[in-house]
Amino acid sequence: MSSIKQIPVITERKGNPLARVFDEFVRFCRSRSLFILHYCTGCGAIELPPAMTSRFDMERLGIQPMVSPRQADILLITGYVSIKTLKRVILTYEQMGSPKYVIGICSCTVNGGMYWQSYATAKKLDEYMPVDLYIAGCMPRPEAVLAGLQKLMDRIHSGEANSWEDYFRNYDYYLGNQQKLFGENWQTPTDIITEAKHYDLIDEGTFGKHTQLLEQHQKPLEALDMRLGHDLKEPTE
Amino acid sequence: MRPENYEAQRHPPSNEFELNFGPNHPGIEGNYALKVKLHGDVVVEAKADGGYLHRGFEKLMEQRLWIQNIALVPRICVPDPSPMEVCYAMAVEELCGLDVPQRAQWLRVMQLELSRIAAHLFTFGGHAATTGMYSTMYWGVADRDLILDLFEEFTGGRVYSIYNIPGGVRRELPDGFLRRISETLDYIESRLPDYDNLFFKNQVFVKRAKGTGVMSQEQALAWGVTGPNLRATGLAFDVRRDDPYLVYDQLDFEIPTEAHGDAWSRTLVRRLELVESIRILRQVVAALPDIRGPIRAPIPNPLAWNVPVGEVYTRVESSKGELCYFVVSDGGPKPYRVHVRGPSSMHAVQVLEKMSVGSRIEDIAQTMFSLDACPPEVDR
Repeated sequence: MSSIKQIPVITERKGNPLARVFDEFVRFCRSRSLFILHYCTGCGAIELPPAMTSRFDMERLGIQPMVSPRQADILLITGYVSIKTLKRVILTYEQMGSPKYVIGICSCTVNGGMYWQSYATAKKLDEYMPVDLYIAGCMPRPEAVLAGLQKLMDRIHSGEANSWEDYFRNYDYYLGNQQKLFGENWQTPTDIITEAKHYDLIDEGTFGKHTQLLEQHQKPLEALDMRLGHDLKEPTE
Repeated sequence: MRPENYEAQRHPPSNEFELNFGPNHPGIEGNYALKVKLHGDVVVEAKADGGYLHRGFEKLMEQRLWIQNIALVPRICVPDPSPMEVCYAMAVEELCGLDVPQRAQWLRVMQLELSRIAAHLFTFGGHAATTGMYSTMYWGVADRDLILDLFEEFTGGRVYSIYNIPGGVRRELPDGFLRRISETLDYIESRLPDYDNLFFKNQVFVKRAKGTGVMSQEQALAWGVTGPNLRATGLAFDVRRDDPYLVYDQLDFEIPTEAHGDAWSRTLVRRLELVESIRILRQVVAALPDIRGPIRAPIPNPLAWNVPVGEVYTRVESSKGELCYFVVSDGGPKPYRVHVRGPSSMHAVQVLEKMSVGSRIEDIAQTMFSLDACPPEVDR
């Protein structure tokens, strides 16, 4: 097998060398203490209990499940996402604090998998949010899940896993796909553009015709009622 | 995020508040939600909110060949996939008038009972976790993995064993498999006293589960409850005994029942069923070496297989309850209509809604796990 070695490009590094060491240290620590928010969107969730508990023991990698999105680092999408679920997945993703990583487990998140012709599922996850890593298979074994997580740890350590920046840089693209699926007046309570300014991640793709459309339909956040779906009807008297 | 017909409404001041329970909640089984209205800690009203896992199975099955659907159906119920494929294969066989060889029927019984043990162990784990006993969850998942290893060995798949085809099963047992299955059964049986001490006799569990989520036998029958949940109300009804399929009429087993119809009875029925399943499997292991012959009946070219016109209704006893398939064929290469009657649709919607009312909020998760509802099967 012939291998083409990548020639390392030496770029002139700027900034304080001490800060570089510190950044490296931060990335190391970050990759060794990851909290998973697993949104059980589908079948793949059934292989996570074996991966988490004593047999395969995810905890020895420093990875633990976490129940609230705001404290989680990884969003695991375990399987097909129906359109109703996808709304909640996007909502959850936007609530998570940066830096955040998305892993798509099962073939369904890659291209629709078994349900390629289903009317109810979203086929490609990366049209709606940036995905760091896919673990293909129907369903992937716990070993594959662990191997995927180790790969992600390496990528976080080396600084490659920064797909969360893409969401801010190309917000218009992702918002456009979301609007195509959910309708023009789609709005989440998270203000992505303000957040992008905060992280200094404004790019050409951040604004576009879809964000203009969002501004037209946007309701002030205080008025946005976050009850999902139909209401519990008050008994009329 | 609001529905199109949404209108903001002002509610009169009250002590009640609404809570979205799920879909992403550690206490709920899978991707499923409940909207509960609370007064303090007590649930006043609960409304099931499903549809997060809807894939349109019944429509998808109309668009695929008869043989392709075998790979599709196990996905309906993820924790207990084997009864799905067996039931569908039985429906197609009945439509075609295929005679399944004896050995294939025994192998199917073995697959079904292994799957039942795995599903029950998993349910115990989940149920224990909702009452804060995580050790049982670790044990249950670990012991279930032993069954999954057996599945991997004799069907090729860890979770989805696409082992059946209309007319029989796909492959013969590997060498020495019966010995390994006996060893695993011995091990699981030796673990049961430990489970008793850790979970079933544990006062933390007994005090919380007794009197939680009670239903009477009349209510259970009116609500369409089947399986262990029905047997926990005192009625000994089991499709395996009352409408035998495969070779269950040649096997010797009991139908365990409990009288109270609460979460504790339901869990206890599953615990007793484990013993019965092990007993059935021992009989299968003893009988299999003497039953020789083919493992599948010859079928026509499956890619151009026109199944005769007809309607058929088959049912099996899955670990969650009675599972039925209604299959209609118009004589073409694909089913004309398939309807799946899953047990969980009744348990997770109407029963759970009614049981939650009056209970405290921390008991909702326990009620749901004690009903052993399977959300992917509710939504399909």
